[in-house]
Amino acid sequence: MLLTVSWSLSAQEADTLVASRVSSVRSVPVTRPAEEATLDGLQPLAADAVRRFTGVQLKDYGGVGGLKTVNVRSLGSEHVGVFIGGIQVDNAQNMQVDLGRFSTESFSSVALYNGHKSRRLQTAKEYASGAALYLEPAVPQKSGWRIRARGGSFLTAGAAFRRDKIWKNLRLSYSAEGLYSGGRYPYNFFGETLMRENSDIRSLRVEGRLDGKLAGGDWNLMMYSYGSERGFPGPVIRRAAGFPFSAERQADQDAFLQGGWRSADSGPYSAAVRFKLADNYTHYDAHAEKNPMAMPYDLHFRQRSAYLSVAQSFSINDRWSADLSADGQRNVLEADRDYSVPPERTTLTTVLAGRYTGERLRAAAHILWQGAWDGGILRDAWMPSASVHWEPLSWLELETFASRSCRLPSFNDLYYVAIGNVNLKPEYASQYGLDLRAHGKHFAARVSPYYNRVTDKIVAIPTSTQFRWSMINIGLVDITGVDSRLEADATFGGIRLEGTLRYTFQRALDHSDPGKQTYGLQIPYAPVHSGSAILRGEWKGWKLEWETSVTGHRWSATSNSADYYLAPWSVSDVSLGKSFGLLSAALRASNIFNTQYQLVKGYPMPGASVMLNLELSL
Amino acid sequence: MKKASLLLLTGIVAFAACQDPLFPEKPSIDSDLKGEVVDVNGLSGFKKLFVLNEGQMGANNASLDMLRISDSNYITGVFKKMNPTEGAGLGDVGNDIVVVGDELWIAVNNSGIVEVLSAKDETEIAAVQVPMPRCLAYDDNYVYVSSWNGAVAVYGSDWSVDVEKSKNPKGAVYRIDRKTKKLDEGTVEVGYQPEGLAVSSGKLYVANSGGVASSLPPAYSYDKSVSVIDTKSFKAEKTIEVEINLQKVFADSKGNVYVSTFGNYYSVHSGLWQIKANGSASKVADYASYVAFRDDTVYCIGNENEFDYYSAPSTVTWTCKNGSKEAWSIHLDGVNPYALAALPGGSFVIADAGNYVNPGSVSLFTDGAKKWTVSAGVCPGHFAIW
Repeated sequence: MLLTVSWSLSAQEADTLVASRVSSVRSVPVTRPAEEATLDGLQPLAADAVRRFTGVQLKDYGGVGGLKTVNVRSLGSEHVGVFIGGIQVDNAQNMQVDLGRFSTESFSSVALYNGHKSRRLQTAKEYASGAALYLEPAVPQKSGWRIRARGGSFLTAGAAFRRDKIWKNLRLSYSAEGLYSGGRYPYNFFGETLMRENSDIRSLRVEGRLDGKLAGGDWNLMMYSYGSERGFPGPVIRRAAGFPFSAERQADQDAFLQGGWRSADSGPYSAAVRFKLADNYTHYDAHAEKNPMAMPYDLHFRQRSAYLSVAQSFSINDRWSADLSADGQRNVLEADRDYSVPPERTTLTTVLAGRYTGERLRAAAHILWQGAWDGGILRDAWMPSASVHWEPLSWLELETFASRSCRLPSFNDLYYVAIGNVNLKPEYASQYGLDLRAHGKHFAARVSPYYNRVTDKIVAIPTSTQFRWSMINIGLVDITGVDSRLEADATFGGIRLEGTLRYTFQRALDHSDPGKQTYGLQIPYAPVHSGSAILRGEWKGWKLEWETSVTGHRWSATSNSADYYLAPWSVSDVSLGKSFGLLSAALRASNIFNTQYQLVKGYPMPGASVMLNLELSL
Repeated sequence: MKKASLLLLTGIVAFAACQDPLFPEKPSIDSDLKGEVVDVNGLSGFKKLFVLNEGQMGANNASLDMLRISDSNYITGVFKKMNPTEGAGLGDVGNDIVVVGDELWIAVNNSGIVEVLSAKDETEIAAVQVPMPRCLAYDDNYVYVSSWNGAVAVYGSDWSVDVEKSKNPKGAVYRIDRKTKKLDEGTVEVGYQPEGLAVSSGKLYVANSGGVASSLPPAYSYDKSVSVIDTKSFKAEKTIEVEINLQKVFADSKGNVYVSTFGNYYSVHSGLWQIKANGSASKVADYASYVAFRDDTVYCIGNENEFDYYSAPSTVTWTCKNGSKEAWSIHLDGVNPYALAALPGGSFVIADAGNYVNPGSVSLFTDGAKKWTVSAGVCPGHFAIW
């Protein structure tokens, strides 16, 4: 029951700093989010809300504890920036952000932007990614308590509470959540029913947030801590009876403190200062003593980062404004092995952005410079972008953007023993997109064709000595596609119905080397066709939702041959909810037809399951 | 509208439910298998050349190809076609293949299986469980399997062992009875991460690589020893210090044993070493990344540029007979070797693994020149002749 709010006519957004006041025209983003959803907590993970967005491919290794990364329009997940309250969540070690670690309890909404949001007083890094996913923390609207409990299939149980407190100039909220999933689910392996083992997870999240007013502006401070201990079930392969697929375990402890102050934007000059301190610890153990088939690895990693951002905005009048933002960041990785040098990086990102925000026409352009110093080597890149949003008629919106962005090589790309290459350049993504939206009183439609080109793509290839691989800037991928969405609603007496149809077409072709047999073939894991249908009904406090999503065939390698074929699949979910005063209950049945499918080859997804959610608001 | 939507939903579900088998592969008998027809003129002394494709680790796509001389067919995916009941195929990471009499023995490393097939029709005779099997050798009674499993973590029983020891366990050699296909109870502990092995005059020579130990505490170093096992007593006899990161072992008819090393890729070169019958080890020459053996001769392909990954390889080819290096000329013609085999009659086959993820290729070389290239499975890496 995630209600899309995408065609609400006022282009408001759930930004933490503006939620409590009406946004003036001049501080709205120039572009509209491609997709947007409010998070109602019915599903435990934020990834569950993102998976239905058009243009998004979620890579999911299955189960509550399985890694979940998001890839937008086949750029690669390294090009997708994930932002919490406008500040990026990053991972210099491998450039992958696991969306499975973020609970829907923490956030009120999630929005996806293709290209850039282009709003005043953004951090420089918000301009630097190819696509941006914004997770907006819930800001207290009234004092109260919320208690949630959930339980369901595969021995999954969770409990959470949240306390909101409001004073005159201060809003406080704190929350905690524990989640356990046994993760044992049956799957089909060549006609045999097996049980997924060693895929349990325990996690605990503790979080606190303060929002206040200071010197005519708004400030906020957020503390976040997430710890988990989980098993990795490993790929499903032919394995001798009696040997487990995997005994690997991983324990994580992530913590960050972030916040900032932002001045009122009434005058000609406004500014914002933001910071973040993060510490992520990981202990991975293959437990070779429990699995004679395991490599005897027992590894510890600790990533630390410090980040400071200063944004300034100058406005000539209500329509024209220019921004100058600069971010500095320091990343350090400690590991007991595997890196040829202790990885560390200092990154400076600066952007000059200009924008025009009229009633019917909005336009933005920026030029960004990013430099990263890795052990004395400077890698830098210029990233230009422009976008125009025009509403020629009251029911029609046109938007177009062109952007070039890059992603830096990760620490693994640069320094991983045996394959790292310190000579890597950044990997570029060029994007050209068009967005057409039409809406009437009871319908809305969006069609968005695009063309992307990823150049200097960082891929691992064997070197002149085949036993030694290396990361090299060699790949070239051309992506053409269309995202489309149709929404409609109707009311019959006391019944309200809403429907959404989504369809994504995507051709992502490998054009790296005309001499290779893989030239011109679809890249791994990108379906040509995918889509979903959602139908929601509301009647006297009852809510019913049905969703069916369909994904066409995919390949697990660029060689589009039988061995790499992944069959099309379709999954349907149903949920039913009802409010009883302070208490509300919802029952969700997922994958009701028990479809056996894999998002990642070798990692079967769960079959049919149910989950009961109870929520008490005081 | 609700009805219409439900109908639509049903339609989508029904559409998605009928999953189209794009690639029908019917079980078949051996002689029905067809593949690419290649030129086999000049190939003699064997009926079939088997190619083991390692596959990609974790992708469960090891596969078996074969070149059948009788009708000149190069056929891919033979195991799956001839053994449809083994739904999961050959398994994950094929690591070695040998022909023992009329049987084909295959070590499937990450599946923990030594697969025994009939060389006549590639049907399964037995699947023997061995933890982390790497390479195979045989004598009259046994097939020997080098294993990365620690000697203390005994296969099939309780795995809760001394954690300190098992964190960086030494490898072991197992043996399987050729007749019964039963795994012998005894194992012999050898060095770290044993690879190739060969039998010479009642002794089993095992090359220890230390490929994993090199990145683990406390020593962070490669193994540099050859373990010698007495095949009668099946007990370790001695170790011979040779060079780091040892790989393949061949035994000639004169009591010489040859061992190849990959070196460490930055300061120690790959090369070939000779162990004389008296146990003394000496280096033959550097540059032996890919080696093959035929008629008491070791054939070597190396790269003089092997520490410089980003420049073009400077290929050197040479042979070794009776411990001395001799010239050998073969024109690789663009093939980037991943494995080399010497065929009876004087020809060679070289496998090219391509990018390791997509299918590689196999090329035939006759009189030092490339004759043809066929598409193989993923990561073709090992050959056997029947």
